[in-house]
Amino acid sequence: MKTPEQDLETLSDNALMLKVKDGNLDTLGLLFERYKKPLFGFFYNLNKDAELSEDLVQNVFFRILKYRYLFRGEGDFKTWMFHIARNVNHDHHRKNKLGKAEPVESWENKLSDNDAYSVQLQQDEETNMLTLALDRLPFEKREIILLSKYQEKKYKEIGEILGCTEGAVKVKVFRALQDLKVVYRQLEKQM
Amino acid sequence: MEPERIAELLAKYNEGQADPSEIKLIEQLIEAGRIDLDQLHELSRLEAQVMKLENPVPSVELDDTFYQMLKTMKANTKDGFSWRNFFSWPELAPRLVLASITLMIGFLGGYLLFPSPTSSKEVAELKDEVLEMKEMMMLSMLERESATERLKAVSLTNEMTRVSDKVTNALLQTLNRDENINVRLEALEALKPFVHDSRIRSELVRSIAKQESPLVQVALAELMVRLQEKSSVKEFQKILKSERTPREVKQRIEESIKIMA
Repeated sequence: MKTPEQDLETLSDNALMLKVKDGNLDTLGLLFERYKKPLFGFFYNLNKDAELSEDLVQNVFFRILKYRYLFRGEGDFKTWMFHIARNVNHDHHRKNKLGKAEPVESWENKLSDNDAYSVQLQQDEETNMLTLALDRLPFEKREIILLSKYQEKKYKEIGEILGCTEGAVKVKVFRALQDLKVVYRQLEKQM
Repeated sequence: MEPERIAELLAKYNEGQADPSEIKLIEQLIEAGRIDLDQLHELSRLEAQVMKLENPVPSVELDDTFYQMLKTMKANTKDGFSWRNFFSWPELAPRLVLASITLMIGFLGGYLLFPSPTSSKEVAELKDEVLEMKEMMMLSMLERESATERLKAVSLTNEMTRVSDKVTNALLQTLNRDENINVRLEALEALKPFVHDSRIRSELVRSIAKQESPLVQVALAELMVRLQEKSSVKEFQKILKSERTPREVKQRIEESIKIMA
């Protein structure tokens, strides 16, 4: 026989969030368990700081609780959550004046300064090189690729997060992947 | 743009030969939904690799801080009261709805208690409609297979202030034909308030011979005694002649006949 907890686990994200909205705050624990890793991955890949990323994940869930009455259950919970995640990240960097969007020149210059990564590159295979290439991308491009990853290429939903059309999102992803390809190739040459 | 031209452009891009103006053109076609990102082979491979990248794992401290925060928020929600929250729209809206419903019930109550002459006709019409609905419900429930449902249907007549012939006929039919004895007994009970109607009384007398259950037979005999319905004696005598009638029942019926005589 199923316990009430097991029943809750089978509920959709939206149904769980509506329960949170109705005052059943404990249900947020289930959403936290579902999304703590993707959110942490999103923040970690953006900031390369584990401690900061955990704080930001915490902040996302704090905002979800605080603004739970704004959730209407019409859209996708995950999209709403990543919208908040993006704002949390922006707010953090605005407050701390850190991690500003890097100009293209800065990451291009970084490529020549590869000493620090030489040991790592020797050990790494394709995957690690890709991670490295991602880190070299300007913030906006890294962000769009990560949104595409964590939103499972649902460009329409990403458009809702960014406030642009599905077509515009696809172009952004295209441009970001183009740049990623260039950086990746340059890293390959340096191997 | 012609599909052939798009195919050429894609082939050129996938071979790494596209120039900046062609890449700009590809962007426009992507935005218009005429080129899918999956059609750009190298980029699609790269994207697939990104999708496969493993997620870093947060520490257990994240769990601790989250559940601590949840606990604090829960405590604040229970204890805290703020006028700002009280008047915030999401909180206020259900309260307003509840207040409106209460007000409407109040008005309705007043309206029913002190009806104006013009409205009494409307109220009567409304009552008729409710009664009609109850009747319909009762008749359809009597068709159900479940005896419990049929019992419920019969007892629905208790709530009716007056009933139509349709309902009394249905009750008589139930008394005579229902396969369940309890339902038959309940139907007999439901018919009792209408025995002043001679038609129903004679139908009840006719029903005596149709009953095989001793319980229904005795119940009918008691009712006939109460009504002093002498025309029922003939029917009871038929039961007395039957070999299938148990001795105790025969005894009870004989007593009833004596009282009525």
